[in-house]
Amino acid sequence: MAKVYSGRDGVMQLAGTTLAKVASFSLQASLETLETTTLGENLRSYTPGISGYTGTASLLYYKDDNNAINTTNLLNKIYKTGDAGVSNSDTVELTFRWVDGSDNNDIKITAYITSASIGASTGGIVRAQISFQGTGALSTVTI
Amino acid sequence: MMAFPSLTPTGRQFTPGNFPSKAYNSQSGAEVRILYGSRRVNATLSLSYANVQDASAESFLTDYIAQLGTFRTFTLPANVFEGWSGSSSSLDAPPGTKWRYDSQPQVQAVRPGISSVTVSLRAVA
Repeated sequence: MAKVYSGRDGVMQLAGTTLAKVASFSLQASLETLETTTLGENLRSYTPGISGYTGTASLLYYKDDNNAINTTNLLNKIYKTGDAGVSNSDTVELTFRWVDGSDNNDIKITAYITSASIGASTGGIVRAQISFQGTGALSTVTI
Repeated sequence: MMAFPSLTPTGRQFTPGNFPSKAYNSQSGAEVRILYGSRRVNATLSLSYANVQDASAESFLTDYIAQLGTFRTFTLPANVFEGWSGSSSSLDAPPGTKWRYDSQPQVQAVRPGISSVTVSLRAVA
């Protein structure tokens, strides 16, 4: 059946578990193009270079009935104690899903959290904003 | 002997060289110039080949070895001068001279299978 997707159909998962209170997410793919135009040509030509993936997400800061905070496993990849900093193992498996009944359209990415911000303001809801940088290949693309 | 690769460059810089001469200055400030030849010398040509296949980049290394580095001289294929609408003789080695490698070709890896090459040549008799 024909369908136009909306924000209600969007799901964001961390390591296969759906994250609660995701307000928005976006995923960008980029391709570096390498110019191959030679002398004597009047039109530019290119060959594909390196491609990559980045994205952002915004989550309401939320504690569930079990006292678990929805953003913990994202924020603790970059908000860390100690002096070791971020290591190679600090990647996250993120799945972005657009749902139509039992039909899931997924993009699954391994990424580093490259920035995160969280705060509080009078009269406002606390949100966590994250940016991530994909590393390696996408493991699932069914869009 | 292997010929210089017939690839059209993505960039080219040419300097025509100069006629061999020497200037002498007297204490009065007068200058005397003596011409030692009738042929331009030390014309240079810098060619860049951006984002070419590794096989094409390798052909420059192969040719450099075949020319014994900077030792042997050679002529250049017409592709090298593509895009130049002036007289072909203006942008080439002076008549009676040939080109040799002025320095080692530089090969820069861009991505797997793609490299950029820079070649510097000098005209010599």
